[in-house]
Amino acid sequence: MKRLSFLFAALSLSTAAFAGAADDVVVHEPYVRLAPPNAQATGAFMVLRNTGSKDAKLVKADNPASRLTELHTHINDKGVMRMRQVPAIDVPAKGEAVLQPGGLHVMLIDMKAPLSEGQVVPITLTFDDGSSKQVDVKVVKMMSAAMPMKHGQH
Amino acid sequence: MSERLLIIVVAVLASLVIGLGLFWHPDTAPTPVAVSPLPPGGDFTLQSADGPVTLGNSRGKLSLLYFGYTYCPDICPTTLTALTAGMVLLTPEERARLAVFFISVDPQRDTVDHLKTYVEFFDPGIVGVTGNPAEIAELATRYGVFYKAQPAEMAGAAYVVDHSAETFIVGPDTRLLARMAHGTPPDQVAALIRQYLNQP
Repeated sequence: MKRLSFLFAALSLSTAAFAGAADDVVVHEPYVRLAPPNAQATGAFMVLRNTGSKDAKLVKADNPASRLTELHTHINDKGVMRMRQVPAIDVPAKGEAVLQPGGLHVMLIDMKAPLSEGQVVPITLTFDDGSSKQVDVKVVKMMSAAMPMKHGQH
Repeated sequence: MSERLLIIVVAVLASLVIGLGLFWHPDTAPTPVAVSPLPPGGDFTLQSADGPVTLGNSRGKLSLLYFGYTYCPDICPTTLTALTAGMVLLTPEERARLAVFFISVDPQRDTVDHLKTYVEFFDPGIVGVTGNPAEIAELATRYGVFYKAQPAEMAGAAYVVDHSAETFIVGPDTRLLARMAHGTPPDQVAALIRQYLNQP
């Protein structure tokens, strides 16, 4: 019991010390798409869920596997897919942002080496309040357009 | 008594109908085949890692054409994954009557060897082809394909290419039969391939 209360104290202390978007935003179902071995770019997808009461903005992503990491989206303009860099991805209070194929994604550009299936890429997400968190994201070979995330129909 | 029963039955049926109207939303996803008139399409000869490829020499095969580029991080892999997953649903006989071409609209960066490695990751049966910029531009016009390189607003050397994300279904006589929209799920890909394979 004493240990438990110590744990609670430590937990509340850590929230107090590091409270910010990085603590409020929980990352669900993250994955990096396994790309062909000679592809220079690939995408990372995830659901960002904001459990806090303040709107959060993802403003930057970083990872050691590629030379550049950017936040992108796709605009489907009458069948023409236009990929564009976005300055930020909004994660509204008590809401979520869905990063998925065909839409918002973290783009890993200029790969240092080909990724392999099952490899873990640590991606650091930085929010507009300066807080950041690291997410260990597995490289997944996608079997079909709808996989592995059946999260699309929001 | 029987009248009361009838009223109850009618009331239950009416509430069912109203309930269905209110709460039942059937999937109203748009049909994957574009309904606007098809562009002329037609034959081509382009270069692959294994030599020149002429669409008209496909020996009675149905062909799928997709215009993309290997630097494409999301849209092209998504389409190729869906096509490959659709092809897996075909019988070996059906598969043998199908040719799949990935046509690069980024000939400056996509060499034929680079293309081969890229497409074979998805399925060894897919053939990556490209040509000189003029050939690609002429072919894209015939298929109503739009593509345009966009300079990336960053320090890196990467640029992205806006491009039409449809897949074209072309008959053995090189006549354009149909277009599949980006995001067509594998079962519909297989169903459409079957439909045109079995069409006289």
